[in-house]
Amino acid sequence: MTQPHFPSSDTQWPRWEVFKQDAPNRPHQAVGSVHAGDPPHALVTARNVFVRRPAAVSLWCVREDDILTATPEELTTNPALLDSPGEAGTYHVGVKRTNKRSMTFVDLSGTVTAGGPGDALRQAQSLHPDVLAWMVFPETAVVRTDEDPGTVESWFAPAKDKTYKQQQHYGVIGRHVGELKRAGLMPGRAPSEDSA
Amino acid sequence: MTTGIQALTDTQTQALLLKLTVLADDEIILAHRDGEWTGHAPILEEDIALANIAQDELGHAGLYLSLAQTLGGSDPDRVAFWRGPDDYRNTRLVELPKGDWAFTMVRQFLYDTAEALWLEAATRSTYAPLAEIAAKAVREEKFHVQHTALWVERLALGTPESERRTQAALTELWPHAAQLFQPVEGEDELTAAGILPDLNAVHARWTDLITRHLVDKCGLTLPDAPTTQPGRDTHTHHLAPLLEEMQSVARQHPDAEVW
Repeated sequence: MTQPHFPSSDTQWPRWEVFKQDAPNRPHQAVGSVHAGDPPHALVTARNVFVRRPAAVSLWCVREDDILTATPEELTTNPALLDSPGEAGTYHVGVKRTNKRSMTFVDLSGTVTAGGPGDALRQAQSLHPDVLAWMVFPETAVVRTDEDPGTVESWFAPAKDKTYKQQQHYGVIGRHVGELKRAGLMPGRAPSEDSA
Repeated sequence: MTTGIQALTDTQTQALLLKLTVLADDEIILAHRDGEWTGHAPILEEDIALANIAQDELGHAGLYLSLAQTLGGSDPDRVAFWRGPDDYRNTRLVELPKGDWAFTMVRQFLYDTAEALWLEAATRSTYAPLAEIAAKAVREEKFHVQHTALWVERLALGTPESERRTQAALTELWPHAAQLFQPVEGEDELTAAGILPDLNAVHARWTDLITRHLVDKCGLTLPDAPTTQPGRDTHTHHLAPLLEEMQSVARQHPDAEVW
């Protein structure tokens, strides 16, 4: 993999974008990022942070430095992004289609054969003209979890039983506020507001 | 409980109850020490990771204590929150203060490896309820081992400072590690009946695995271990204040009906 490099003022470990696959036939999605010193560390950390629940079958990590992203606005002001130099080869293409999610989900939509990241971005733009953002990175930059049964069993299977617990499932010490309200024991708003 | 489960004799039941308590006590105390890093771990990602691992360990304790309850043991919450240091049967290894990050990771590695190997063997228990618990818990434990083995390796092979701290942690922890393989009273009979794993075999596998990682891969030195170990009924002075903090809410609200 790429050599570690330390910018003079930044002592943080490199940032890795994490892609999670929820089920075998679903696309990998960008779910967030982790800081890690090397590829195995990135994967283990990604598992800890992003697979606590409920479901995943595969994780990829890609160094931030290996990813090229652009919004339509950025391409308008900086068209040179389409000429970003780099290795020719297979590139993954990700697209962000909606803002209606609380996290920054980017779906990987497939691969293209490109002369470099700029060329891959150009192809992404033409394949998916109407999206909020594009992301491309070379296949060679991806580190993946193993697909052997042992890894699937220890990394991903336990989380399936761990569903999110809704607030109302937690007990309370004493009486629940709703119960107190119904019994008229909670100070309410002024009567005039209640009847309004 | 399904039918067809092997019936235990009274002696076996008592020994298994004690073993389940011993296993749960190690998990509870280690989970508390891990939980002490919440908000203090070296990076945010590790803060999340260790809190997650601590929850897994508590989950395993819950499995052991629930099974103990079906065998006539007390309610798991009572066992965890209403016994004092004289009644806890955890090892000294897990009750020592959390120390620095190297200390925490080396301890977790020694413990996780022992737990993973024991659970793996316990999946073959002739006592079905235990085999089921082990099959569930071992999946999580195998990942814990990967997590902490990775950290120990990077600390040991990192900077001179991290290497020094990792070796210091191992030197301090090593004398206590063998206590994990101390049998409880009546354990031999349960092992002979195939209900519990052969502790000596697990110990041998653990020593081999530990040596290959810590010595061969990480270049650390295993100190000499004492030939005898104190029993699990004697503790350091670190356990009492831990329990005082851990049990403070339960003891302030003894009549709480739900948690």
